[in-house]
Amino acid sequence: MEIRTKQDVRDMARGAALLGVGGGGDPYVGQLMLQQEVLKGRYPRVIKASELADDAKVVSVCGIGSPPVLVEHLLSSKLLSKLMDEMEEYLGYKIDALISAEIGGLNSVMTLGVAAQRDIPLIDADGMGRAFPKLEMVTFSVYGCSASPVMIMDELGNSALVHARNDETAEHMSRAISSSLGAMVYSSLYPMSGKQVKDFAVHDTISLCFSIGKCIRESREDRDSPFDGLLELLHRPDEQRHCKILFDGKIVDLKHEIRDAWHFGTITMESHGDSKDVMVVEMQNEYLAARLNGETVTIVPDLIAILDSESAEPITGEQLKYGQRVKVLGISASPIMRRPECLAVFGPGGFGFKEEFRPLEELVA
Amino acid sequence: MRIGVDVGGTNTDAVLMQGSQVLASAKCPTTEDVASGMIAAIEAVLADSDAPTSEIHSVMVGTTQFINAFVERKHLSPVAVMRIALPLSEGIPPLVDWPDDLRAVIGDHIYMVKGGFYYTGAEYMPLDEEAIAEAARDIQAKGIRSIAITSIFAPIRQDFEERAAAIIREIAPEMNITLSHQVGGLNLVERENAAIINASLMELSQRAISSYRKSLEVLNLSANLFVTQNDGTLMSAEVAEQSPVMTCSAGPTNSMRGAGFLTGLKEAVVIDIGGTTSDVGFLLHGFPRETSDANDIGGVRTNFSMPDVLSIGLGGGSEVETGDPVSVGPSSVGYRILEKARVFGGDVLTATDIAVAAGQCDIGDPAAVADLDAETIDQALDEIHHKIEGAIDRMKTSAKPVPAILVGGGHVLVSRPLKGVSELHRPEHAGVANAIGAAIGQVGSRIKRIVEYGSQGRDAVIKEVSDQAIAEVIAAGGIPDTVKVVEIEEMQMTYLQADSMSLKVRAIGDLALED
Repeated sequence: MEIRTKQDVRDMARGAALLGVGGGGDPYVGQLMLQQEVLKGRYPRVIKASELADDAKVVSVCGIGSPPVLVEHLLSSKLLSKLMDEMEEYLGYKIDALISAEIGGLNSVMTLGVAAQRDIPLIDADGMGRAFPKLEMVTFSVYGCSASPVMIMDELGNSALVHARNDETAEHMSRAISSSLGAMVYSSLYPMSGKQVKDFAVHDTISLCFSIGKCIRESREDRDSPFDGLLELLHRPDEQRHCKILFDGKIVDLKHEIRDAWHFGTITMESHGDSKDVMVVEMQNEYLAARLNGETVTIVPDLIAILDSESAEPITGEQLKYGQRVKVLGISASPIMRRPECLAVFGPGGFGFKEEFRPLEELVA
Repeated sequence: MRIGVDVGGTNTDAVLMQGSQVLASAKCPTTEDVASGMIAAIEAVLADSDAPTSEIHSVMVGTTQFINAFVERKHLSPVAVMRIALPLSEGIPPLVDWPDDLRAVIGDHIYMVKGGFYYTGAEYMPLDEEAIAEAARDIQAKGIRSIAITSIFAPIRQDFEERAAAIIREIAPEMNITLSHQVGGLNLVERENAAIINASLMELSQRAISSYRKSLEVLNLSANLFVTQNDGTLMSAEVAEQSPVMTCSAGPTNSMRGAGFLTGLKEAVVIDIGGTTSDVGFLLHGFPRETSDANDIGGVRTNFSMPDVLSIGLGGGSEVETGDPVSVGPSSVGYRILEKARVFGGDVLTATDIAVAAGQCDIGDPAAVADLDAETIDQALDEIHHKIEGAIDRMKTSAKPVPAILVGGGHVLVSRPLKGVSELHRPEHAGVANAIGAAIGQVGSRIKRIVEYGSQGRDAVIKEVSDQAIAEVIAAGGIPDTVKVVEIEEMQMTYLQADSMSLKVRAIGDLALED
């Protein structure tokens, strides 16, 4: 895959919005940054993990803060460059490649921008294959790669180095630092080896993200419905990938609530016509569970996306409105995400659901 | 007495009003120079009513002139863009996402300056006053006359934008200055874009407003001149010269406000059926419900509070295909309905022909549609009502039936009860609802900021912001007794600890007018 034009950047951001499954932060700011790099002729290079040497040095970059603050602060390329310089200096080695911790939302698009800026490759993989609200909710963490040392920095020259006893604590400490610095800071974290990335990452998600964005745009033009193209791309049982349109209807009720700075919501939809089917999607920053007439049809970590029923434009939790015509898509999480040790961290139980995880392809035959 | 004028893309409408009474109304074609169409429409209502010009104390104008100029890239001025935020935001300079043709007109005059505040209002970097002075001299030397100034979190702290303006005025008193906090809310890119759009239109707005003033002189009117803004409230002509961007969605707003005024309803769905499209919106507290989702003006991303309007491809000129199934629209004969529709001697079957054939109205020659069979008529009517019902359903916020108001020339298309509607209103003068909306005569203010209730407590913070909103309305000419807060919206913010809230307060009052 190559990202060389404004259109490519937009395709990437559209894919990131879908894989953000309702949250992940607006990719627009990341899109603008990546666009700047591309217009300067600095194109991001994306490589497969298999191209890495086992002892290659890899880190992640991500923003930590509040989405409404991000859209005022925007981004500083100088800061991101300095963050990488200081992380290299602290670690005592050159970083060979970057990996995005989170494909959905802002972080993947921003990491592509940093890769372009520093002319180092970005690995075609991430740590979740979607978006999650906390930095310990990544496969890297599950398999023993520590988030620490986390290098945190802001544009004013403030920085902190977090060594936490576990990744959950790293999340708490990082968020506290972010709060004390105007609620938006940037971090470099999860130093890993090439071998660890090969073994523990969710693979091929950058190229998937780009293909999704591109497929939606192209099939709006070439197909009867953009969903035809999307299903062709995402439903490939022989590759252990499943995708189903779970529902087609309109939003009839929305409940939002912010508790402890997390966004909880319940979205109720009714089908068109006389069938009177009801779909309820529960969210905590991201869409987590979809229930059709009370029966679970998709549950975390499998992906739930809500899209405009005509244009297939992904709709985030904040953009939902009464009366919108939507289609709800269920997409299977990557097999690694469904392993028991991963489910223990970000399966249904990790979000307070009482039920066990069941794969989408079993729930909707 | 007062005159309301609505300058649309096709027609310029005028009404003469006294209190809540419509004394006369007129429709004239909009002209290239705008002013002569306006003169013609005002002359028509004056002639129709024999009202002495000395009795007219106010003229209120709703106009799409500025938004159209921007969309068509006509009459725009180059703009110097100053952003106060460094060292933050450096990676995403102004104008990065603007279309190339617009950038060519606006130019590449970007000045990024140190200074800024956090969302808490605390200063993270003092203002670099020397850099601003230097920029001002440079801008002056380039011969640029419009500046857009944006500082980070300006909706919360205005002082850096104001101080920068003062420094620039000292050096270049002739400069037209737009401050972002006056035209936009939170989201730096979108607010900055709004400020740049405004700055690019300022010279045009000064010329246009002065031509409106001259029109009044030609007509021998010594009335006060007002312009309607996006939310339907008025601004003085002097303020309008400074903030043309605040008029960009006045068209649909005025039509909805007029519908509310004519029926006395404060909460209702408004369906404005024109020649090609129908606009469906929702009145809440007598004002259009707004959306501040990202929207696009001439290819530029903004987040204005705009009336939340759904346009569907259905109007009096919509073409009807008599296949199976029968379809209506979205293609339309538009303004050529008077030659194309069957009842007017044309050969295109339109929605208006269906309404005539069904006996819903008496327009043109009914014999021209006598051959239509009952089933086709019935199916076309099904389709028309179905489309409108779908749009109504999308615009409602709950499943409960609500009152609906039909305005616009195409209202005759509707003949049946509509699903989801409790009662259907068709007010008199529905065809000029937009000009009536312009003439309602209220002023308003809105304040949006991030607050922390903390030790001061929620009630005290809300009161403080409300008092400020009320004071702004009175300062804008509102009669103190009539000013009230019409909307308080609190939104908790994700990923922020403590009790941070985005608080929006809107106040409205009647404009002091002698009637």
